[in-house]
Amino acid sequence: MRRPLLPPQILRLVLLTLAIVGSYLVARAFLTPPTFGNLGWYRAEALVELRARPPVYAGKQACDECHSDQLQKLAKDSHKTLSCEACHGVSREHADNPDILPVKLTGSHCIRCHEANPSRPKWFKQIVVKDHYGSKCTECHVPHQPSQSP
Amino acid sequence: MKARLNRRSAITRLGGAIAGLFTLSAARAAKAAVQQMFVASGAPKDYDPSKHKWLMCIDVNRCIGCGLCVEACKKENGVPEGPYFRTWIERYIITKPEPGSGKTRGETLVDSPNGGMHGFPPPPVPKDQVEHSFFVPKLCNLCEHSPCVQVCPVGATFDAPDGAVLIDPKYCIGCGFCIQACPYGCRFLSPVTHTAEKCTLCYHRITRGLKPACVEICPTQARIFGDLKNAGPDDPIRKFYENNRVQVLKPHLGTEPRVLYAGLDKEVR
Amino acid sequence: MTNEMTNLVVEVLPRFEGYVYPNEGIPHPLWGFLIVIYPYITGLVAGAFIMASLVRVFKVKALEPVYRLSMLTALSFLLCATLPLLFHLGHPERCYEIMMTPHLTSPMAIFGFVYAWYLMAVLLLELWFDYRQDLVEWAKVTRGFKGIVYRAFTLGVTDESYEALALDAKMGWILSIVGIPSAFLLHGYVGFIFGSIKANPWWGNVLMPIIFILSAIVSGIALCTFNYMVLTWIRRHTVDMRCLDTMAMFLFYALVVDAAVEALDWIHRIYAAEEGFSVLKTMIREKLFYTLNLGQATTGTLIPWLLLGSLQLLRKRVPEPIRRRMIFASAFMILIGVLAMRWNVVIGGQLFSKSLRGVMGYKLEFAGVEGWLMGLVLLSLPFIILTVLVKLFLSERLPSSEHTPQDSVAAEV
Repeated sequence: MRRPLLPPQILRLVLLTLAIVGSYLVARAFLTPPTFGNLGWYRAEALVELRARPPVYAGKQACDECHSDQLQKLAKDSHKTLSCEACHGVSREHADNPDILPVKLTGSHCIRCHEANPSRPKWFKQIVVKDHYGSKCTECHVPHQPSQSP
Repeated sequence: MKARLNRRSAITRLGGAIAGLFTLSAARAAKAAVQQMFVASGAPKDYDPSKHKWLMCIDVNRCIGCGLCVEACKKENGVPEGPYFRTWIERYIITKPEPGSGKTRGETLVDSPNGGMHGFPPPPVPKDQVEHSFFVPKLCNLCEHSPCVQVCPVGATFDAPDGAVLIDPKYCIGCGFCIQACPYGCRFLSPVTHTAEKCTLCYHRITRGLKPACVEICPTQARIFGDLKNAGPDDPIRKFYENNRVQVLKPHLGTEPRVLYAGLDKEVR
Repeated sequence: MTNEMTNLVVEVLPRFEGYVYPNEGIPHPLWGFLIVIYPYITGLVAGAFIMASLVRVFKVKALEPVYRLSMLTALSFLLCATLPLLFHLGHPERCYEIMMTPHLTSPMAIFGFVYAWYLMAVLLLELWFDYRQDLVEWAKVTRGFKGIVYRAFTLGVTDESYEALALDAKMGWILSIVGIPSAFLLHGYVGFIFGSIKANPWWGNVLMPIIFILSAIVSGIALCTFNYMVLTWIRRHTVDMRCLDTMAMFLFYALVVDAAVEALDWIHRIYAAEEGFSVLKTMIREKLFYTLNLGQATTGTLIPWLLLGSLQLLRKRVPEPIRRRMIFASAFMILIGVLAMRWNVVIGGQLFSKSLRGVMGYKLEFAGVEGWLMGLVLLSLPFIILTVLVKLFLSERLPSSEHTPQDSVAAEV
């Protein structure tokens, strides 16, 4: 009787192994995303998808298009480092459609930054609100030019 | 005979396997065509990541702890409500030492109520007990050797070529390994998407020429953002790293964080 | 209104002390009970396999009666090993990604491959070679569903010639040898996952993979002892005391080595007192007190050490029934203790803040995917599978082949 090439157990196992490894390789060809590995060990398409999210805040540059006079006044005084949306809130809709008005401000905005707190740096202008003059900040301060009186 | 049967069945099986392998190439072309249809679009196509290297730096001397940045980040990125923060502010209150104790400092109190999102309440110790106090904004440290990227098992989080460390929300399996590996606590598992999330430097803004929301909103320019590959001599980020002696967080861990802090104290971890 | 806006007092959550990073203020640990169970299960697999390899590789003849039970135990637990991981993932439907694009810098990425290798190329293959002759014989005399199962598992190889059986024995021996480092890899990589996290001082140290493997071996031997005694009790047989005493001996020495290395970890931590040491002390004292001192140290280590150690010294003088009870109690306590150890490592690492300034307390729910109930179900499932496997492959009605593989190998040599 002719002896087989390999013992029967080994032959059966080798075929089984080839089948398993083969199906793994086929699965891998199908299930690896198309842009994977282009730029590194990740889906390069993810960069495009992450960029595609629409921004929420409009940004100070967007306000400059229509309100450059206000921004020029702002740039002359100590609030020049502020972005408009820090006080006026998200204004993207307004930037796209000026008929939609941004948030109307109240004095709580001023206190959030200017309430005296020992943790705040010493160069920063802080007041103890209950000891400070008046009831409304805008009685004595112009928000865009805080050193000026209205 | 048993031997011959074995050989015949073996040959037929091998033949089948080889035929299967040949169909692979045809199947691959079909698969690529199908997947091309699903490729996302809609983002600005004129952005080349290799031409930029983004960095954010923090000037601790300028932070006033207003928390506008934390709020802005949550709004800009749709961060879920609750203990989930892509950026946050920590307050450090270092008290004076007990007289006669021979120490330079008393105890250090650190807090971050709701990440500092609505500002900070008055300090828990009286003003005359405070030796030093300051606010430290925290965010992803954009590590050169990010441990988070190293441990991701599938390649869902990665170092983008332009300096940001990003997460692919469609690929992340939500195992949480990266969250455990980050020494700075800047990652979290979103209860909404069930994937890991972190500061992306507002990738969708910076690739359109806008600033990250936190930088945009910061009233005192405590957060300095810039493009290291396109920074002119007057660029704030260049002035920051050229004029300041800086520190990084947890340098002993070897993560080589790129985010530079000016004005840090030894108590900040 | 304005003052309230800026002076917002945050709800003081009693479960945090000191300062924790805001992202750490989540109500439940990120890696919960499911991630405690996973290393426990793979540890039992590795340990049961090492126990079986004592028979094949180290030729401990006294343990022959428990060889097949150990292998079936390893198999039944391995079949359940992926479940805790799957249930834990945020996106279990994407689990295939770990095998399609494994990130080679991540220890977690080797999971798919090391699991597949261990299941197919080590465990099932070694079982197949050991059982093949029996399967062929059983297939001839069994009808119905069981007969189909036996026939299917022969993979159509019905050769029972002398050469074929000698090959079976030789392959089984080779696979046992290959299986030992494979078992170390299967469980050691889990220890490495924790040991590689430098951000976490409780986890990230070089002894972690070694401690995991050693406690795995202890738990595996304990499980085989436990299963052997339960099975003989159910079948109303008499326990082979030579086998049981040998298992108790190996269990004792494994426990001593494991306790020694864990003690080394403790001593080093206390001596070097690195940066995180003070927060770890607080965490252990306040959050891990019972699971560590009662669970792991006393129940899991000290009492079994005393019981088994006394048996090593006084074996002949202790009557059989008492010896049996002492060994059974020790095995059971060790199983509890090793589960407590996994708890202390996994949950303990999440009970303190990475700011090293605070500790958190979590309450584990009863229901839900990460709850107690699910954990208990997942721990019972392997025993159910083992029952089925024992009924099929350790059946009392079907005789095993008389030829013992060692004799064949000896004959070859």
